[in-house]
Order: sequence, then structure tokens, then C-alpha cells
Amino acid sequence: MKTWEYIVRRLLLLIPVLIGVTIITFVISHVIPADPAIAFAGGPKAQPETIERIREELHLNEPLLVQYFYYLNDLLHLNFGKSYLESRPVLESITQYFPATFELTIFAMLISVPLGILGGIISAIRRNKLSDHITRIIAILGYSMPIFWLALMLQYLLAYQFPILPLEGRLSIGLIAPQSITGLYVIDSILTGNINTLSASLYHLILPSFTLGFATMALLLRMTRSSMLEVMGMDYVRTARAKGLSERVVIMKHALRNALIPTITVSGLQFGALLGGAVLTESIFNWPGMGRFAANAVMGLDFNSVMGFTIIVAIIYVIANLIVDLLYAVIDPRVKLGGE
Amino acid sequence: MNKKFCILAIGICLSMTLTAFSGCVEESTKIELKNPDTLVYYTFGDAKTLDPADAYDSASAEGIFSIYEGLITYKGDDLDTFYPSLATSWDVSEDSKTWTFNLREGVKFSNGNDFTAEDVKYSFDRVLTMNSPESGVAWILQQSMDLDSTKIIDDYTIEINLIEPYGGFLSTIAYTVGFIVDKDYVEEHGGIVADTENEYLKLNPIGTGPYMVDHWTRNTELVLVQNPDYWGGWDGKHVKKVVIKYANEAATRILALKNGDADIAVIPNENLEDVEDDEGIIVIAYDSFDLVMAEMNTLSDNSMYLANPEVRRALCYAFNYQSAIDDAYVGYMSRVAGAIPNGMPYYDSQNNGVPVYDYDLEEAEQILDEAGFTLNEDDQRFDGATIRIFYNAGNTERYKMALSFQEELNKIGILSSVIAENWPQLLHRMYTTADWDLIFIGWGPDYNDPDDYVFPFVASSDVNGDTFNTGYKNESVDEYLLEGKYSADPNVRENAYKNAFDIYIQDPSMIYIGQRQFIRPKRDWVQGYYYNPVRDWYWYDYYKE
Repeated sequence: MKTWEYIVRRLLLLIPVLIGVTIITFVISHVIPADPAIAFAGGPKAQPETIERIREELHLNEPLLVQYFYYLNDLLHLNFGKSYLESRPVLESITQYFPATFELTIFAMLISVPLGILGGIISAIRRNKLSDHITRIIAILGYSMPIFWLALMLQYLLAYQFPILPLEGRLSIGLIAPQSITGLYVIDSILTGNINTLSASLYHLILPSFTLGFATMALLLRMTRSSMLEVMGMDYVRTARAKGLSERVVIMKHALRNALIPTITVSGLQFGALLGGAVLTESIFNWPGMGRFAANAVMGLDFNSVMGFTIIVAIIYVIANLIVDLLYAVIDPRVKLGGE
Repeated sequence: MNKKFCILAIGICLSMTLTAFSGCVEESTKIELKNPDTLVYYTFGDAKTLDPADAYDSASAEGIFSIYEGLITYKGDDLDTFYPSLATSWDVSEDSKTWTFNLREGVKFSNGNDFTAEDVKYSFDRVLTMNSPESGVAWILQQSMDLDSTKIIDDYTIEINLIEPYGGFLSTIAYTVGFIVDKDYVEEHGGIVADTENEYLKLNPIGTGPYMVDHWTRNTELVLVQNPDYWGGWDGKHVKKVVIKYANEAATRILALKNGDADIAVIPNENLEDVEDDEGIIVIAYDSFDLVMAEMNTLSDNSMYLANPEVRRALCYAFNYQSAIDDAYVGYMSRVAGAIPNGMPYYDSQNNGVPVYDYDLEEAEQILDEAGFTLNEDDQRFDGATIRIFYNAGNTERYKMALSFQEELNKIGILSSVIAENWPQLLHRMYTTADWDLIFIGWGPDYNDPDDYVFPFVASSDVNGDTFNTGYKNESVDEYLLEGKYSADPNVRENAYKNAFDIYIQDPSMIYIGQRQFIRPKRDWVQGYYYNPVRDWYWYDYYKE
């Protein structure tokens, strides 16, 4: 099977996955014995006709199955319904929040993947030396430190005690966002040649992306280190050394390629997970992203938003997994996609 | 693990801990004034709409009060007098039904269009026809106006004929729902469609007010800039730009205020101690119109015990008001006599403003004993039946009050349980089921009139009251409340509210816990600030120096 056939087949798999996801989330979110219409209509100040109108819009008076088909029908027309909490279409909210999370995730990965892998390699080849100890301690800190604590500490130190970085947000206060092309402020600023928003958005990315990337870095560091150690002890590495290859070639060309496979799997999944939104990081740095949006939607029983969010995350996961699988084949020629 | 590793690890952990605590010992340094022309307010929760015909949440009002204007307005914190705004003077007929307003000439909307009587009629009719599909706010005008009410006499005179005389009429049109939009502008952008919101107006407001929208990034910030054509002019001190920042995390808002990014910030009561000792931060508490209550389900098929007025009276005595004020609200609440908050007209009609019930467990026990609800052999009343106390999850103040109340009830032999539910679920329970006994609730003002408080709380559902679904009904009380509602004579209203209160308070449906204080810590460079409970923010009056 050719690679493209494999990709198409995997993408087609998205359809049953998405149907499954919509059924499960729809049922879970709708079996809660509460009708959110009163809350959406304004709580104790709600007018009866407003409540009734919302019930009709959401088809809450119909049986669950009928509600589900209404939903599916809308979805086929790319209509995710209306978010009552934000009082606008869900798609509009997602179009605003997803690029924010995407940008943050990319920068977090740009920090965590190179540092994690590099740290892991150093730690493995200089095992039990001082540099190994230091990197291992960083790794332990990375995944044992609660992310909200790290976020608050960084914010407190670098935005308040020694105010060199901005406290919160994607842009400086009152600055108008660059014209939206991709929704990623950094890219949009470059495309529109807006230096002000470019520097402001980069500056605002530092703390949240470091916070978000720190735990991932720690994870990747540990993974790379242990798989490197395992691979370095293998026969073929000894053979490579015996052939007289330089240590650099042995590590970079022979050991690392094999050692990276688990690291790549984890990076891909981590990327997918981060795209789902990092509620804590986004909340503390007031980053208008998917995590904050989803958390509010769940608390407020905003079904449409919850569903829209879940569908987007499911698609991301499937695609992230696909990319990981494709990368396997690049790194390890023995891996044949789709089998022979 | 070897020694070196351990030493290193301990060293790093120690240094991190020290860093973490370093802030606690450091003296706060003097912060310099940032952006003298821009006022930055850090709050939470995005505005929902900037269309005055459909706005009913406080976040939306924060922008609308300065973008649009009504015929009349408030000045500073004065709640007793209405001042001219788009109307220069007004008159009312003998029967209190016909109001005539003389309009201000030479006023322009921020798009350059002239303001005339056409716009006034259009705006009121728009609210009534559009019927606020999102929020339901149209009821405020609908209670006294219909499509025939507003008549254009000439370009600058308008006459409003009320369906019934209404004591609170002027207050209702001073609220955002009575604000004036530009007829031509609305007609160009979707016009009026019955029962349908106008998506364009929601995001693109054009009013006659001092400020206009520069940009609104949803859930991030709303930025207002000066309207150069504002009829009130720009003499004196004003800020050029207002930034309303939405940051849901309290810790972020606290740091923003401390480092001077924020000029004013919303800080939860329990965090006020983090900012009140900072040099340059001012914390002042004002009495708001936000009431805190515990409502009791009075329908006998729900709770046979709470259906008895004597039991409800006993519960009013069993509530520890001072503990609620001191512990739950950290002192930022004052007691209130009844459904009308202190500061609103006719507050004193409620037992001269003195609460009838104080915390008194002996009195509570005596009432219960006399009503026949004595202790059984297990020292329990109501045969060991449990009173279920609900509050909305995440509301720490209500949680603390619920626990304290449970303890007090326990002392007089009443078993109770405390249950937290998410807000939508709790509302569902309150309105569609009979399955609750007591719920902690709150209420904020729509407009400055007791009819916006005592009527929805106390009047029965037969006359469109009972907003909290307590099931309460007392015919004499209903009669007096209707009398107070449909009169514009202050003496008649005063007496009506007094008579209603005297009957109601011996047959209460709620425990009136207190009146919250409004606190918005600010930097000392913010000048011109005052608090008006029915118009929280009016950016034109504030400046930085």
C-alpha cells in the first residue's frame, strides 16, 4: 500500500470515530437531569417566554434520539449550534479560541521537544555525572511540580517582583490584534507586517509557553534518557563502536534514531493533549484558548459548546496519531505503513 | 541514588521554596502611574451584547452606560434625583399616566447622525417589538408601555402614555433598556425583526454617549475611546481610552492591580487582605443593592414543616446573621430589614429600617414548641426529618453560611443537610421541581425602585410575582404590593409598602441575611470615582492623576 492510500484510509476512519464521539458526548451531556434553559435565560430573572424559546431552539422538549438527529443534521451543515454562555455561534467561539491554543501549543512544543530530547541525550551519555544529575532533577521538578504553582510562581517573580515579562493575555493592553488570517497572532503579524503586534505577541508567549512546555519537556527528557540507555547497551551499538565509528556518529546516527521512537509517540500525543487546551495555564495567564472555553462550557451545561469542543479535540487526536505513525516510517525504515 | 544527586536535589528544592516565600517578606515598592490617558479595569466575565435592547447582565452594562444614553440619568452617587440627559425637562399629567419630554437639540450620534424624537420612539418601540429574545429584559418597559404609548409631538418633544400609572417608570427608562439608538443606523443594519436579536447591533453599537467602541475582542477586552462629538464636551479631566479587561482568574487580577497594570480591579472578598496593605491601593466598601437571602419552600406538598409560617419565623431567629457577615462575607455586608435594600426609596417602610429578626435560638425554640414541633425522645424536632439546604457549587460565601446554619439548626434539634449543585442544575431544581427546602440566593438591581425587589420576591405568582418560586401567597400582601406598584404618589406607595411588610414579616418566605458591599480596589491615582448602585460604572467621570 502506498503512503497516500494509508493516509486516506486513516482519514476515512475519522468518520466512525466522530460518530462515536458525538453519540457518547451527546448522551453524557444530555442525561444530566437538568435543563440549562433557565440558566441561559438569566436565572431568577428569566422570563418564561425566553426559557421556552431556548428549549425550542435546543429541542429540549423532544426525545433524546430526536434531539441527537437534529444535532447531527446541523453538524453535517457545519453548524455547531449556538453557545448560550457566550451568546454567539459555537463555531465563532472555536474560530477565536482554537488558534490561540494552537499558537501556545506550538511554542510550548518548540521549547519542550528540543530541550527534552537534548537533555535526555546528555543525561544518557553522561550517566551519573553532574550534568546527568542536574537534568534529572529538572525532570523530576518538571513532572512533580503542579503546573498552576509553576505558573503562579513565574508570574509572581517575572511579572510582578521583577517585572520583565507581561502578566497575562496575548497582546499588550488595548493593542488591536493583527488582521485575522490564520488567527495565530505571530504569523498574522508577520503576514501583515505589523511589528508592534509581532513583538507584543512573542513577548506574551514566553511565560505561558514555557509553563506549558516544562512538564512535557520533563517527560520527553526522561523518555529519551531511558530509551537511549537501553539502546546504547544493545549489540548493534557495540558493533558500531567496534567498527571504529566516532562516538558522535554512533550516538546520532545509530542509537538516537531507535531511541526516538517512543519519544515521538509521546510528543505526538502530548501535542494533541495540549491542543485540547491547558485549563490551568490558560486560566492563570488569561489566555483566551480552548481549555478555558471548555471548562466554562462544562460548568455552565452549555451542551453545544461542549460538543463542539469534543469534536474538534477528537479530530486533532486522530490527526496527531496519524502524523506520529507517518513519522515512524521516516525514522525507522523497517516500519511499513499499512503492512505489506 | 548517590549522595551528590541528593545534595543537589535538596539544594534546588530549598532554593525554590525560598523563592516562593520571598514575596511574602518583601516590602511593596511604590508603583509608577502607567498610561495616564488610559483607564484599565480588570474584571471577569465577558459582556454578552452591546445592544441596549437586549442587554441584561452587568458586564454588558459596563460598556453600554457610557456608549448610549437615555432621556434621563443619574449624577454621581445621587439616587434621589433624576437629571437631564437626552431630555432637558419633563412633565407628568395629573393622573400620572402621560409623560412629556422635551428633548435636547444639537445632539449627534457618534456616526454623525442627528438625534431627534424619531429616534426615541423608534428605540422604545424596538425594545417592545424585538422582545429581547436573548435576555428577556424587555419586560421592564413592557410592564408600562406598548406600541401606542410613544407619540412624537414634534422633532424635539415626545409624549409617553403609560398603560397604567407606574411608580417606577422614570427608573426603568434610566436603565440601559431605555437607551436611545439611531433609527437610520439600525434600519441600515437589519432593522427591527420581531422576537429576533440584531447580530450587528450586538457587536457594533452607535450611541450619543461620551465613549464609543474601539474594539471588542470577546472574552479578552472591550476598549472604549472618546466620542469627539459628545454633546457634553470634553472640558475638564477625562481619560481618552477605557480598557475593560476580562481575566477570570482572581490571582491574575490581584497581580495586575499590584503591579499597576490595572487601575481598578474586581477582587474577591477573601483576597482583599492581599491588596489592602499595599501602598497606593485604596479599598473602600460601599453599600450595594445586592441582597443575600435564603428562600424557603412554602408549599405544603413540598415540605410539610416549612409550609407552616411559625416554622419559617423560627428559622429566621435561628440564623446567625453576624456570623454570616463576619465569617462568610469577611465583614463586607450589612444587615437589611426586608426585601427593599437600604438606600432605595421606601426602605424605612420596613419596620423603620430595623431588622425584625435577630439571632435568638431560645426564641426559635419557643416558637417551635408552641407550634407543637417539640423535641422527640432523640432530641429531634419534626420526627427527625431533614431540611435540605442548597447552594450553588463554587460559591464559598454561601457554602460557609450553609454550614453555619446547619450547626445552628442542629442546636435546636432540627436535622439538616447541605447540598451543592451547579448553578444550572440548582435553577432547574428551584423552578421545575418541588424537591428542595431552602436555597441561598441573591438579587441585584435592574432599576432604582422597590417594585424591582419586593414585588418579585414577595408577591404571589398569581400576580406575576414569586420570582424565586417559593410558592408564597398572601392575598392582602398582594393587594398592597399592587397598590404600591401602580401609584406614582409617594405617600400612597409608602403606606402600601409599610402595610405589606407588616403582614409579610410575620409570615416570611425568606431569611433576609444582608446587603452586600461593593468593593472595587483601585490605585490611588484614579480620581473622580464614586459608587452608584444602579449604574456601577460611568467612565466619563473618572480620570487619572
